[in-house]
Amino acid sequence: MHPLALTFLIIGIPALVGLTYVFVRGSSGLRRYVVTRIILTLPMIFILATVIFVVLRLLPGDPVTSALGPRGSPELKARMIDDLGLNDPLLVQYGRFLGDIARFDLGTALTEGRRPIADEMGERFPATLELVVPATVLALLIGLIPGTIAAHRRRQAPDYAIRLFSVIIYSIPVFWLGLMFQLIFSVKLGWLPVSGRIDAITGIGLERTTNILVFDSILSGNWVAFRSVLIHLVLPVTTLGLVLSGVFVRLTRINVIETLQQDYITAARARGIKERVVVYGHALKNAMIPVVTLIGLQVAILLAGAVLTESVFSWPGMGRYLIDRILARDFTAVQSVVTMFAIFVAMISLAVDILYSLLDPRVRY
Amino acid sequence: MKRTTKWLVLLVVLSVLAAACGGDSSTTTAAAVDTTDTTAAAPTTTAGSTDTTVPATTDGPKTIIIGTTDSIAGLDSADAYAIHDWELLRNIGEALLSFAPGTTDIVPGLASDYSVSDDGLVYTFNLRDDIMFGDGTPLDANMYVDHLTRMLTLDGSGGVGGALGTPFIDSYRAVDDRTVEITLKDAFGYFPQVVTGAPYMPMHPDFPIDALIEFPDAPVYGVGVWMITEYVPGEQTVLEPNPYYSGSAPAPKVDRIIIRYFNDAPTMAKAIEAGEIDIAWRTIGQPDLLAELEGVDGLTVGTVPGGGVRFMVINHQLAPTDNADVRKALAALVDRDEISDRVYAGTAEPLYSMIPVGFLGADEAFDDVYGAPDIPAAQAYLTAAGYSETNKLELQIAYPPEHYGGTAADLIQLLSEQYEASGMINVEIISQEWSTYIGAVIGGQDYAVSLLGWFFDYPDPDNYLAPFMNNGGLGTMITDPDTNEPIDADAQALMDLLVQAGTETDVDARVALYADLQQKYAENVTTLPLFFLPEHVVYWDYISADDAAATIESLNIGPTFDLHYELLDTSK
Repeated sequence: MHPLALTFLIIGIPALVGLTYVFVRGSSGLRRYVVTRIILTLPMIFILATVIFVVLRLLPGDPVTSALGPRGSPELKARMIDDLGLNDPLLVQYGRFLGDIARFDLGTALTEGRRPIADEMGERFPATLELVVPATVLALLIGLIPGTIAAHRRRQAPDYAIRLFSVIIYSIPVFWLGLMFQLIFSVKLGWLPVSGRIDAITGIGLERTTNILVFDSILSGNWVAFRSVLIHLVLPVTTLGLVLSGVFVRLTRINVIETLQQDYITAARARGIKERVVVYGHALKNAMIPVVTLIGLQVAILLAGAVLTESVFSWPGMGRYLIDRILARDFTAVQSVVTMFAIFVAMISLAVDILYSLLDPRVRY
Repeated sequence: MKRTTKWLVLLVVLSVLAAACGGDSSTTTAAAVDTTDTTAAAPTTTAGSTDTTVPATTDGPKTIIIGTTDSIAGLDSADAYAIHDWELLRNIGEALLSFAPGTTDIVPGLASDYSVSDDGLVYTFNLRDDIMFGDGTPLDANMYVDHLTRMLTLDGSGGVGGALGTPFIDSYRAVDDRTVEITLKDAFGYFPQVVTGAPYMPMHPDFPIDALIEFPDAPVYGVGVWMITEYVPGEQTVLEPNPYYSGSAPAPKVDRIIIRYFNDAPTMAKAIEAGEIDIAWRTIGQPDLLAELEGVDGLTVGTVPGGGVRFMVINHQLAPTDNADVRKALAALVDRDEISDRVYAGTAEPLYSMIPVGFLGADEAFDDVYGAPDIPAAQAYLTAAGYSETNKLELQIAYPPEHYGGTAADLIQLLSEQYEASGMINVEIISQEWSTYIGAVIGGQDYAVSLLGWFFDYPDPDNYLAPFMNNGGLGTMITDPDTNEPIDADAQALMDLLVQAGTETDVDARVALYADLQQKYAENVTTLPLFFLPEHVVYWDYISADDAAATIESLNIGPTFDLHYELLDTSK
């Protein structure tokens, strides 16, 4: 199976579990809402694909001139433009593009070796996923617990310390933090690798079934590779996770503070429920809705490429790929990749809406 | 079921599902080329191993890891044009002729020798015996002719045949199993340099004759010293010795070369400083990085005089640079040393001819003619052109801000200051996105003065002059883009000299002709050379080069920019 399809499958399984839950246990209102959202997703993707198609062609430049530069005769350029179908009327190109998308055919890149875009995404997207998911989990861990502590100990020393941390970490540019980590932990101390996904020699011969190397090393039983992959994840995941955590800390803190002032919290305390249960069991759960929204938005943005983190750590993910293809005016690659992202964003947005109803039974659709 | 247990079950299910769906490895991609049909048994006396699953232990294969910020754009020699692609192809393949490492001296390649007819039109190459691809498939003259056919007929997709094949070759044939005869369209004296290029390296016969395969599945077999055993896009390429190689290059001293890809130079610099790579090669020329690496104990920074030049395209048919005095004033005002010091912290080398140092006949004609910077002389030229301090020359300078790195804007700003220091020029800077920009430069209708960079296709002075003179000259417009007719007597004289120098086979006579040509080129200010950027190779002290070859300090890399992996050794 193609790594990209496999990645979709891995992402899709929790979505399927969620959908199954909705249709088996959810209210009729929720079922109706989910069906409506899925139906509305189609025109959303159509509109986005159309906008991308038009914008790319409004931009100056074309992929052939960009690739050939000063070399290549006018005849050659004309022939290449013709071969790539760029001379066809825009409506013909647009129809071809929509037809390909409808068949889940991402097409072939116009530049850099003209490889199938599905293959290129199959190499790049799992790498981004492998970076973004643990970074988001780390950001949540750092964000939720200290954020709740800060709210609980409002205007006390822990609150001031955590707020200071969140402001500083939120203000630090991700590339600077990454560079500092590299200098300290890689160059000076020699504890962690500077860049890459796996050690150069260890990576030789590793069977890349999913291209998510944590899974691949487990599946192949290669524990040396597994260890190398984890070690290579430490710095980029920590960098991205720390920077993301700043906003989670602040958002959690303010929402927990508001929740702790609610009558039902006072009532819970009056009933003698332990303070730990009140804060972490009741207040935090009810303060989670805005946080969940933010998680959804952040993950969607990061899947499109944590550009700076990927650059600093030479992480071969989607961010760098998309920038290169935009600069090369590779219309097909950009169109296809952005459309795929739109599908991801729609899926995540739907998942967030479903999560709302699980987190807060008062939410009705 | 407890929550933790649920998660564990989910993880197990996902893993099992992934395993069940498991397919081919994606370490190599794209169309498959079946190269498994070997025709000879692997020899037992090879230097390397073809086992790609050797565990990473200190007792494992002797390995050198080379870092680069380049990437592979394509590995089909009929289409490859990028520097890194050519480097890989030169190591896994071999052309009809080669360069001695570190020099531009022609030495035998696939052809053990060659002869040229008296009229300079017919080249006869005698292939050496026992040429074999990495899987044992032999190569003969007929197969080589098939390769030429493939290269010349597939030129429409990328331009490599159109640039380095069809302009030269009229016909070709296999005289016998070991002899290839190529008849040229004209007596090109530098044709031996041309046939050292990657397009003249045969791909495995399993490559289809009518289609390009940019990313063949590994292993990729050529007839060179190495073969590619694994390739992970964006991460690394692994090479091991070709057990059937029979040419004159020395046997590899290590068992494995790994090319590691980086997004940018600062990350690569940290990787070599941390010892993750043994060698960092190319595009690490940021002055601050070089200074930092030079200060690291155990690291050597080698400088490779460059083939990459920067210059201003001067349009000879657009005002105001259609005026020869204006062009001369612009040439007289450029302070190349200041550009190097202020923009490139001294790492750029001033360029006083389009032909860079290290290439046949290179001189400093622009320095001889203008002695720039010379403001009084420039003012005199501008006065002769009708300009004054009250009637200033309005000059537009165009450049692509994103294409030549972050220093391009600084370069153009400084150049503007140097022009305006004359007191008789007002400069307007125009920035334009690359693909629009380059079309406009070459079209010759938009910019009088514009920035361009150039790297040779074949390491001969012709390739640093002819592109800027023939067929519109990439925007100089000293010839008609369609008819190639020179626009005036000066252009005619330049074109005559270019043809003479290009068809001359005697080296000394060529040098004399290029000296004359460079002088006239400078007087005409056909283009305005600014500087060249040397490349740098950084390596640890346990890495060594072949002391029998030239330029040991830069790991035997010379003006042709070829890094010969077989010459590298490690004592690590």
